Amino acid sequence: MAEKELTSKPENTNESKEISTSVLMKRWKKFKTLKRGYYSFLVILFFYLLSFAFPLLINKDALIVHYEGEYYFPVFQFYDAKTFGQDRPGETNYRILKQEFSNQDGDNWVLMPLYPYSPNENLLEEIPGIPPHPPTMQNFAGTDDRGRDVFARLMYGFNISISFALVVTMFSYILGVVIGAILGFFGGKIDIFGQRLIEIWSTLPFLYVIIIISSLVQPNFILLTVILTLFGWIGITYYIRGEFYREKAREYVSAAVSMGAKNRTIILKHILPNSLVPIISFAPFAIVGNISSLVALDFLGFGLPPPTPSWGQLMDQGLQNINNWWLVTFPLIALFLTLLCIVFIGEAIREAFDPKVYSRLR
Amino acid sequence: MKDENVLEIKNLKVSFPIHGGLFLRKVAEVKAVDDVSLELKKGETLGLVGESGCGKSTIGKAVINIQRFTSPDVQIEGEVWLKTDTGEVNITNLTNKEMRKYRGMIQMIFQDPYSSLNARLSVGQIIEEPLLYHTDMKKQERSEKVAWLLEKVGLQPEQSKRYPHEFSGGQRQRIGIARALATNPKVIIADEPVSALDVSIQAQVINLLQDLQQEFDLSIIFIAHDLSVVEHISSRITVMYLGKIVEVGIGEEVYHNPIHPYSQALLSAVPLPNPKFRDKKRIILTGDVPTPINKPSGCVFRTRCPIARPECATFIPVLEEKSNGSFAACPFVNAGEHIESTINVN
Repeated sequence: MAEKELTSKPENTNESKEISTSVLMKRWKKFKTLKRGYYSFLVILFFYLLSFAFPLLINKDALIVHYEGEYYFPVFQFYDAKTFGQDRPGETNYRILKQEFSNQDGDNWVLMPLYPYSPNENLLEEIPGIPPHPPTMQNFAGTDDRGRDVFARLMYGFNISISFALVVTMFSYILGVVIGAILGFFGGKIDIFGQRLIEIWSTLPFLYVIIIISSLVQPNFILLTVILTLFGWIGITYYIRGEFYREKAREYVSAAVSMGAKNRTIILKHILPNSLVPIISFAPFAIVGNISSLVALDFLGFGLPPPTPSWGQLMDQGLQNINNWWLVTFPLIALFLTLLCIVFIGEAIREAFDPKVYSRLR
Repeated sequence: MKDENVLEIKNLKVSFPIHGGLFLRKVAEVKAVDDVSLELKKGETLGLVGESGCGKSTIGKAVINIQRFTSPDVQIEGEVWLKTDTGEVNITNLTNKEMRKYRGMIQMIFQDPYSSLNARLSVGQIIEEPLLYHTDMKKQERSEKVAWLLEKVGLQPEQSKRYPHEFSGGQRQRIGIARALATNPKVIIADEPVSALDVSIQAQVINLLQDLQQEFDLSIIFIAHDLSVVEHISSRITVMYLGKIVEVGIGEEVYHNPIHPYSQALLSAVPLPNPKFRDKKRIILTGDVPTPINKPSGCVFRTRCPIARPECATFIPVLEEKSNGSFAACPFVNAGEHIESTINVN
């Protein structure tokens, strides 16, 4: 037979020694080529990491005080006003202290952070008149109706918004993936009853539950995370369940079973990594949704407790003081830019993870 | 179980229930495999041929006991005896957990080289996976074994760091073969291993399988719909029609002198490369394959058989020995008889 004359050699051996890339690495490389999304990712990542250093950058407490030959670090430790010879009750006002020291002309000095105002600090002592105060060179974005610096509140609010959205997204994903994986992998009765329970749960009206809970207890960061997680996982189970149903029928899963893999190995090593694409592409949009949820809840007054610097609460003030343009404009700009960047990231991820590379809508 | 057999299938029946109505009662069933008995001798290749939907792959999946995983409500009756080091085991009704310790002895090569490899794992990880479950080798030993296996199937050991998407179809099928060989199995079920490859690659992969069979002393059930491929590799051929075996015999015999009317029709459809033989009359079967939900009574082939008689509807024919080593499930033909085609092709 002619076939026997053909050798048993491999058809084309790849001689090149270049480093081989996994599917994930390929997608990361593709993501890096999508400049708009990649730069948005870098910007958001940079600001988010930077926001953890805000106590050193945006703070009313001085970084270093040199007073009568000794060094003090008020950022890390509390000193009352008498320590530096200030005649006032309670905390030292370091901005005033700095002016006093420069007037004294001695070798006492104060090193203030870059932006020397705190988000929860009342500035009525230094800025006379009825708040809100319009923007000045000192207070970039003016003050709110209690005389607190809007710029500092916006900056700290950024950290809280992103942290909150990340935590809620992470926990809803964990819950949704676990439940969706169980439904999709085991199927049958577990799936039918599980789906019905999810449908019942999903009919609970989210906003009313929040309002009822908020009227009973003052919600804090943890309680809000729990509530939003409890309502946020449902959509994820649908994706994961569907992916598990599809992937389970593919031959590599049959191969894993025929090799003797345990259910746990099949789920974690084989099916799960192959079913994450839809929820990874969905993640930035979930984060956008969660930021908006927090803003909405804060706006309605069911969100984080009052002194917390939050964007929704600032917008609520903006609505009440609609003539003070800075209270409306700056929170909206901050929210808009943040959400825009994250949506850009989401679009780039979606394109990078698209299995059909040439089917972009252009 | 006979001494030389490594696998015996006795009266295997696989059926898939069809649910319908308001409360999803069982309204009918698809008898994909209907009372099939086979034996696989040590070191032989048993070819399993038949057209699509005749139950070839279902036999393979039922033997390797993964049918329950892919379709949980399947009903499997009968016995599949596997000869192991400790004795013979009936693996038909073992749960996945009980089956796990025998998985190393019976492995499968899958049809689609694209979907049968997990795209997230490197080739090394794919091939070493059965070693993780069936041996307690150290990491170093495993990677040595992977390199050795890669060389055996004609790939390079350095390629173990690569990912499946960087290989061609034929190379991927070699990876699948290396994975199946990792645990030194006695029995390999090759479920149409070459039907997704183009012809030149098919020949390479088949020759590779033959070489490996000699070296590893494998017994192979080779499932295919391409008769020339099966004839090339198989020592015995089993022809199936609608979930039943219609003919079993020595490879060459079945290929050149088929006995059962269906085998004759099937083989007359094989294109011949040599124009000298082209004057052979083709047997054209009329009609379609009946649905396996509602099979004809008696002989399942009688609705399309050129030599069907009224009594064919009354009894189910059994395999009878027609000549030395050749069995056919039809009492009305004898070895060496050629059925006159009712339709002349020319």
